[in-house]
Amino acid sequence: MALQLRLLNKFSIKKKNIKEKSIKTILFLSAISAVIVIFSIIFFLFRDGYQIFETAGLWEFLSGTRWNPTGEPPSYGAFSLIVGTLLVTIGAMVIAIPLSIGSAIFISELAPPRIRAIIKPAIELLAGIPSVVYGFFGLIVLTTWLRISFNQPSGESWLAGSILLGIMAIPTITSVAEDAINSVPREYKEGSLALGATKWQTISKVVVPSALSGITAAVILGMGRAIGETMAVMMVCGNPTYGLIPEPITNVFAPVKTLTATLGIEMGEVASGSNHFHALFGLALILLIITLAVNIIATIILGRLKEKQMSSSKKRTCLPYKIGKKIRQTLYIIIGIIVVWMLFISTGIIVTISILIVVAAFYYLSRKISAKNIQRMAFGTIILAIVTVIIILGIIISYIVSNGAGAISWEFLTTEPTNLGRSGGIFPAIVGTFYLVAGAILIALPLGVGSAIYLTEYTREGKLTKIIRTGADLLNGTPSIVFGLFGFAFFVLYLKMGFSLLAGQITLALMILPTIIRTTEEALKSVPQSLREGSLALGATKWQTIHKVVLPPAAPGILTGAILGIGRAVGETAPIMFTAVVFSGFIPQSVFEPVNALPFHLFMLTTSIPDSKQSQAGTALVLLLLVVGIYMIAVIIRNHYKKTMKW
Amino acid sequence: MRQIVKKRNNRKLRRLLIEIIVIIILIITTFSGCIQQTQGGLKIVVIGRDSASGTREFFWEHVMGKNDFTYLLREKNSNGGIYQTIIQTPGAIGYVGFGYVDSGVKALKIDNVTASVENVLSGTYPIARNLYLFTKGNATDVAKEFIEYIQSTEGQEIVEEEGFVPLPTSQPYNSSDKLLSGDITIGGSTTVFPIVEKAKDAFKDIYQQLSITVSSTGSGAGITAVTAGTVDIAMSSRDLKSSESDKGLVKYTIASDGIAIIVNLENTYVDGLTMAQLKAIYKGDIENWKDLS
Repeated sequence: MALQLRLLNKFSIKKKNIKEKSIKTILFLSAISAVIVIFSIIFFLFRDGYQIFETAGLWEFLSGTRWNPTGEPPSYGAFSLIVGTLLVTIGAMVIAIPLSIGSAIFISELAPPRIRAIIKPAIELLAGIPSVVYGFFGLIVLTTWLRISFNQPSGESWLAGSILLGIMAIPTITSVAEDAINSVPREYKEGSLALGATKWQTISKVVVPSALSGITAAVILGMGRAIGETMAVMMVCGNPTYGLIPEPITNVFAPVKTLTATLGIEMGEVASGSNHFHALFGLALILLIITLAVNIIATIILGRLKEKQMSSSKKRTCLPYKIGKKIRQTLYIIIGIIVVWMLFISTGIIVTISILIVVAAFYYLSRKISAKNIQRMAFGTIILAIVTVIIILGIIISYIVSNGAGAISWEFLTTEPTNLGRSGGIFPAIVGTFYLVAGAILIALPLGVGSAIYLTEYTREGKLTKIIRTGADLLNGTPSIVFGLFGFAFFVLYLKMGFSLLAGQITLALMILPTIIRTTEEALKSVPQSLREGSLALGATKWQTIHKVVLPPAAPGILTGAILGIGRAVGETAPIMFTAVVFSGFIPQSVFEPVNALPFHLFMLTTSIPDSKQSQAGTALVLLLLVVGIYMIAVIIRNHYKKTMKW
Repeated sequence: MRQIVKKRNNRKLRRLLIEIIVIIILIITTFSGCIQQTQGGLKIVVIGRDSASGTREFFWEHVMGKNDFTYLLREKNSNGGIYQTIIQTPGAIGYVGFGYVDSGVKALKIDNVTASVENVLSGTYPIARNLYLFTKGNATDVAKEFIEYIQSTEGQEIVEEEGFVPLPTSQPYNSSDKLLSGDITIGGSTTVFPIVEKAKDAFKDIYQQLSITVSSTGSGAGITAVTAGTVDIAMSSRDLKSSESDKGLVKYTIASDGIAIIVNLENTYVDGLTMAQLKAIYKGDIENWKDLS
């Protein structure tokens, strides 16, 4: 009897062990999925791109200034495209950095809680606006404004691209910079205030310098986002056909062609297998390498920041501070030059010089102004920055709402498009978007949650977690058009899926995977260690603990991550453009058929169907409402969660 | 004490250096700004299609004589993109299919011939090309019927409705006692897309058992797809290239497309251009509208 019992016990323990081990293996597999994906992206881009380095020569490809793949003879020089990408990005940063750092300081240091509760989600909303909607706005409003107010022949220029990308980068930079500022220890501020410094002195001399590496990382992440943006840039930058390095280089009204725009424009019509096709994959490879480099730098900086916070501050912080100061000085100079020069273009020499004199006088006088007045002025500037951001948001949203409100009706939402989308509704596009996003989340959620569980629960911090995390970060920084190309090369051509719902779903899933991993990890980490220990002490297995104790309280956080992922997937055009979508009023019956989707429908209406103004504005508004609605749900869940969860 | 003085001197020196650099750069940028003063008249903003487009290839061969475009040619990836830019840019010139010409823009006469369907049919309007469907091997079953439908009188009416130029001759479509079912997929040129999409709807009214999917991915992608067998019919706004010609594709001409040269309504300088002037504009030899009137 006793023997039997013991055997039974042993058996069940063994069974339990097998279950535990297999779960661990499954979780491990999902954890390394991000790494596998990033490597297969690189592999497939290289597989279809390396031929161009053979036919054209690597050096000629990188240094040639003429991009004319269909000419006779063809020339494949990507240098001017790379310069175009960098110029637009630099311009975007000049616009985005002051505005977003100002906003970050305002949100974390100055705003009363009630205002913060409104402004923070409002800026995050800016991130939720789909890039096609930005492009739509930029093409019609921004370029016209630039053309008229600066008296140029055309407003499509690198300035237009920079302004649009700057606006798009604001939310990324603001939220990461705000986190960095928030993580500055309270004691620093209190110490500074106790020594008699004003609030502004504390912010400018203590808080910002100690958050500097975090802010730098924020800027770099924003930069990565801007480099990879496709749809908006494609619509407003002008795209001179052979690529163009502006002459002089500071001529902001010259049109430029970026890497992403070239891909977005030419990929659709190119004959696959031709040299032109390989050249485009070569471009994608360059783009990926640039963004990966930018993101790796950001990861390293953020990693150092964490180490610094972990270790006691015995290290001399003198050196980084000095370097930071130098960086800041050069940054100020660059910004100053560009501002002055733009001023000159818009107003003329006399006004510029008089403004410069006033500024110089102000600069020397400012030494004699009391700290309190300086504080007043500084806060005024910061508030100006945040007001600018809010006004930009207001202009974009009110433009889209006022134009689209007339087009929306019950019929518009529930009927099929007729006469090529000029009349009728957008029902198939709505359904298609729903299918695409639902499929993407069904694939990405288990993978993402699994890999987050593996990272937080099953491993110690070490080489493996570092590799996996870097993989996820790199995936996060990969431009959406690169996902599109990868999906096209791998699913559509290599696996012979053709343009299909499934190919689009998987491509989107890969794109939102890092968001889900990141947010799930955060949610799991916020569950106190004592709960796990308690459960384990009671004899529960590891999986039982995770399943019954850790996951339930982390669920709202995971849900927020999923919703953010959905929001991103709904608005994206570039990844599905080459993998899944067709422009038609047709609802797929299986995952192997193509679909229509809202952002693509809007893109096609704006670019290919004449006389469809009404439907364009209506589709833009529906897309905006959908994305905004999804983000609102995420924000509400987050706030609710913050209020109710108290340990 | 000495150290402090030294430090302060250092700092002053550095600030002086920075100020000098700033002033030098200021002067340079000021002068570079002076050079590019705008002159009178209206600068021409040259708009065209992307290098992978069939329309652009046609334009390059027949108007440019395979000469290079001006480096300032701004690319749009669609007819709609060109139209949108033309209506909001006074100095712009672009080329689009006839379907895109409406009261919002001005279509220029070429060699004194108005851009119209009649003039393309009579052969006097110089900028027109054919639109094609391709199948792998001879078309069979549904694909064959569908192509016949588009080439029929009913199909050619749709061609005209969408602003394209119909085939010179066509017979009424004969649908008597044919029972068609199954599904086909069609992909390719964005230019041909509106015709096929509309014809599909009408065709499905005759044969209700059918399922037809049309996607607009661009001529190149369409031809690739039909070669690989992922679609049944490819739409194309260009003929096969040498690299595509030995893949066993069969060509069906379904319509012609006149290409209109359009400018902004505010452009009072010209009403028509000669082919030579058009070429000079797209080559970048003529940069201002006032040089033309």
